[in-house]
Amino acid sequence: MVNRFALAYREQQQLFLFDKTYIWGTLLKVGGLATLLARFIVQFFWNPTVALILTLVLLALSAFMTWVYVRDSRKDWKTIPVCLIPSVFIGASLSDNCLHLEYLTAILLVQAGLLIFKNIKTRKVMWGMALTIILYFTAGSAATIFAVCAFLRSLSPLSPSSRSLSLSKGSNGRWFDKLTNLAIPAAAAICGAAAYFAALVPTWAAAFTPALYYDLDASLPWMHWIGWICLPLFLSLFRLAKGRHLFLPGLTLAALSVIPAEKISKKIEETQPSLAYVLEHYTNNEDWDGLVKACEEAPWLPRVANYLNMALAWKGELSDRLLSYDQGGPDGLVMTIKDRAVDVAQAHIMLAMGNVAAAQDVAFNTLSSLNGYCPAMVKINAQVELMRGCYDVADKYISLLEKAPHYRGWAREHRRFLHDDAAVEADPLLGNGRRNLSAKDAFVMYTNPMSELFPILDANPKDGRALEYGLCYLLLSKDLNSVKHFITDYYSSPDSPELPRIAQEAMVFYSEYSRNMEGVEPFGLDWCYEHGVMPETVRRFEEYQKAAVAGPVALGRFKGTYWYYLVHKEI
Amino acid sequence: MGMKRIIGIFILSAVLATVLSCSSRPEGAAALDEEAPVFPDYKEVTVPANIAPLNFSFLGEGKAVLLAGDKVIKSRRGVFKFSRRGWKKMLSACPDGGSISLTVFAEKDGKWLSYRPFNIHVSPDRIDPWISYRLIPPGYQGWQEMGIYQRDLETYSEKAIMTNDLTGGNCLNCHTYRNGDPSKMVFHARSSFGGTVVVNEGEVEKLNTKTDSTISALVYPYWHPSGEYVAFSVNKTLQAFYNHDPNRIEVYDEASDVVVYDVRTHEITWSPLTKAEDRFETFPTFSPDGKWLYFCSAEAVGPMPDKHREARYGLYRIAFNPDDCSFGDSLECVYDAPAEGFSVSFPRISPDGRFLCLTRHGFGNFSIWHKDADLWMIDLADGSIKPMTGVNSDDVESFHTWSSDGKWLVFSSRRDDSLYTKPYFVHIDENGAWAKPFLLPQKNPVAYYKDLMKSYNLPAFTTGKVSVGERKLTDILRKSPGTDVKVK
Repeated sequence: MVNRFALAYREQQQLFLFDKTYIWGTLLKVGGLATLLARFIVQFFWNPTVALILTLVLLALSAFMTWVYVRDSRKDWKTIPVCLIPSVFIGASLSDNCLHLEYLTAILLVQAGLLIFKNIKTRKVMWGMALTIILYFTAGSAATIFAVCAFLRSLSPLSPSSRSLSLSKGSNGRWFDKLTNLAIPAAAAICGAAAYFAALVPTWAAAFTPALYYDLDASLPWMHWIGWICLPLFLSLFRLAKGRHLFLPGLTLAALSVIPAEKISKKIEETQPSLAYVLEHYTNNEDWDGLVKACEEAPWLPRVANYLNMALAWKGELSDRLLSYDQGGPDGLVMTIKDRAVDVAQAHIMLAMGNVAAAQDVAFNTLSSLNGYCPAMVKINAQVELMRGCYDVADKYISLLEKAPHYRGWAREHRRFLHDDAAVEADPLLGNGRRNLSAKDAFVMYTNPMSELFPILDANPKDGRALEYGLCYLLLSKDLNSVKHFITDYYSSPDSPELPRIAQEAMVFYSEYSRNMEGVEPFGLDWCYEHGVMPETVRRFEEYQKAAVAGPVALGRFKGTYWYYLVHKEI
Repeated sequence: MGMKRIIGIFILSAVLATVLSCSSRPEGAAALDEEAPVFPDYKEVTVPANIAPLNFSFLGEGKAVLLAGDKVIKSRRGVFKFSRRGWKKMLSACPDGGSISLTVFAEKDGKWLSYRPFNIHVSPDRIDPWISYRLIPPGYQGWQEMGIYQRDLETYSEKAIMTNDLTGGNCLNCHTYRNGDPSKMVFHARSSFGGTVVVNEGEVEKLNTKTDSTISALVYPYWHPSGEYVAFSVNKTLQAFYNHDPNRIEVYDEASDVVVYDVRTHEITWSPLTKAEDRFETFPTFSPDGKWLYFCSAEAVGPMPDKHREARYGLYRIAFNPDDCSFGDSLECVYDAPAEGFSVSFPRISPDGRFLCLTRHGFGNFSIWHKDADLWMIDLADGSIKPMTGVNSDDVESFHTWSSDGKWLVFSSRRDDSLYTKPYFVHIDENGAWAKPFLLPQKNPVAYYKDLMKSYNLPAFTTGKVSVGERKLTDILRKSPGTDVKVK
């Protein structure tokens, strides 16, 4: 029901800092303590399994607190199943990443407040009002749940303590004494109004509803109201329910609640596909093996192909394994060249392509996430500033990451590069990036990937990843003439890398057919051999030609070849 | 424990803490002929008598103490912090101008060394007590949080005027006041809940400023001294990112014009000379007497961005009649920067009308991204122009405004880390002579500015606090349909 990768995605939407200014700045907002607790917990979500366990623990804690709250009228364990129901719906809502984890931490604070309230024996109205105010500013709009529950509790005839709710002793039971308990929800109303008029919240909805915990000004989907309403409903109604046979109906209800909760999760998944979270997770953690494996689920989708090919490029296997997958054309390498939108993958793709400035352009736009900074993008910004030699700016990013425990090691490792040009230039990634920056100047993400790649390769022909991206882009575009020129320019010198198999296949094919093509200067196998084509490739091409005549079955074993892609794949 | 005893212990603790925190001047310190490594560089700066304490950090290693006048201050984690009372006392000791002498002592290998003493010069010219600015991640196109803030220059207190978390995370920009009057303000909000907000002596209204006759909504504003008009540019602005040029980003116009908005009638008007087809006009500024409208103008070039380096703006002015909002029939070139191979932006005239400060750079108009952008001063009495040497740095200086009395100028500079702009203040005397600028003081400047991941954008003086509440501004933007601006 809860996708662990969707939970892990939250970790990239914030950067929890062990920093006085950050902590105070967060605490001083409405619901600040809930936010701080949520962000503290989410920092451990970099591991999806840990994310899932921590979320389940919090949900279980919520269910436990519900049970503790209601059990004074049900002193046995039979009410436990029914207490799980609000947590089931809250858990389902958390599949929506626009709903922040403070939705849950705020509810936990409210439940803690209710337990305190439950054990207060005297001056309950005063304490109720005080707790409402405290909870409003620490937990936010969830304090309204507290106020409603505390008020309903005061109306309950069950609890012995309910008789001492009123301000004056000896007046229990009288309707106007019970009315004094309205002061508790009134306190919540006043707090909400104060927060609204002091511009601490943008709207009335944020002042009183779960909208406070939802993305800035996004419309709150109806399903997130279920957990929100369920909680006070269950907390109050089950205290009132009589009978000793709640276990089986409760268990049945709890089991049945999984069905609508699952539907909620599915509904959320329609707009937030789970595969996207998986891909994002492996990208953020630079786990290229994991990313390749995840992409194998749907490599034909251009967006997934972007991730897949990027992972192959970072592994140095792009040209070797490119056609092992169902490629749909050059868009599979980089789909959105002019898109500067928030896109972690795009920044990594640009960096893999050697287009360092474009990577930074995207990374900077993606730097500010929903709840702070996107750690993966802070890292790329720090790296690019080191490449640029802008050490003071790099120092800012590194210092920021040093305040986050999970990134402290990475940051300290990179601190050594500050003001040390020799170390930067000797580093494989940073040195390569710095050499790429010496390309002829132009605007980035402006025309097309190749027009930006050529100057980069002219400046740094040893950038293997950029070289592979360039070659593969032209191959996937089926632009054989440009492939030939590319090979002439970048694979012809003695220290050039070995010509990838698929490029060899392309050139053998092209040499064969160049003789009959109009407007193409014919060239033979001699040229191919001079430019890195192996005799083995020529031999296999002969076999391919025979198989092409023999029919589709014989062609099957050539599926991973460029010939097959060229002839049989429509782009 | 009795109350008297508690009070006694409290007083004793306070006295002990005071005694222990005071240090004596290190005896027998060897004099070094070196400048003290401190940040911010407050050496020989000129400050107003009402500025907040100029705390600064010793950047060297080891213990350090500061001799300020006759007071000795021990550094705490490298920071020399002045007490508010002590600082005020030092400033008030210079009522007609004077200097505070400072010497930094540092302990090295068990021996005390003293760096070359320096002064902070105190001007009797008081500074407008507030500035406002936008805090925003520097450039590019993305942001999550931004806001327009105001800062009390006499303390470290900062308050939000408007933050975008109240309006869906949209862009807020171009806050401008009528000669520092906090009751007359204009700013724009873009995208969702967008509109131009005009604050006019307690009245707040939202304007929808795109018309069929103009190329965009209203952009760069400047109030007429009467408060009855606001001049705006309208711009088709785009942005591109360089591969490795130190300027990083180029912001350029594909077209632009200058118009004047009548606050009372909600109408805009223009002259054919401020909206010429073959020219880019931008950055309007009224003269303090309100009879001239200055603006930057360049020959239109295209296509953009291919020709962006060919766009060079000069400074022009046209007569303006505030009685009927009419324009003169000719343009006057005030400074032909393109003829010298340069471009100018952000003309701002001192309140006495004597000096005009502008930014000069190689090309284009968005100087905040141009490393070569420097402040230049034109003496309008004789038309002479000179660079503000000593104020400028190797990096960007731009986005300047005058204080209401014309004695101070605040500007943005990227001089400290090449990316994050910070506000600097410079004293200008009646003859147009400037002093060394100083950075906006903070309690702990090193920590504050290093941790700050936002730029100070468009710092502007105000003579008091902007009192219109965030709620009012938010409600106007969120709920008001806005008044459509008409063309006269």
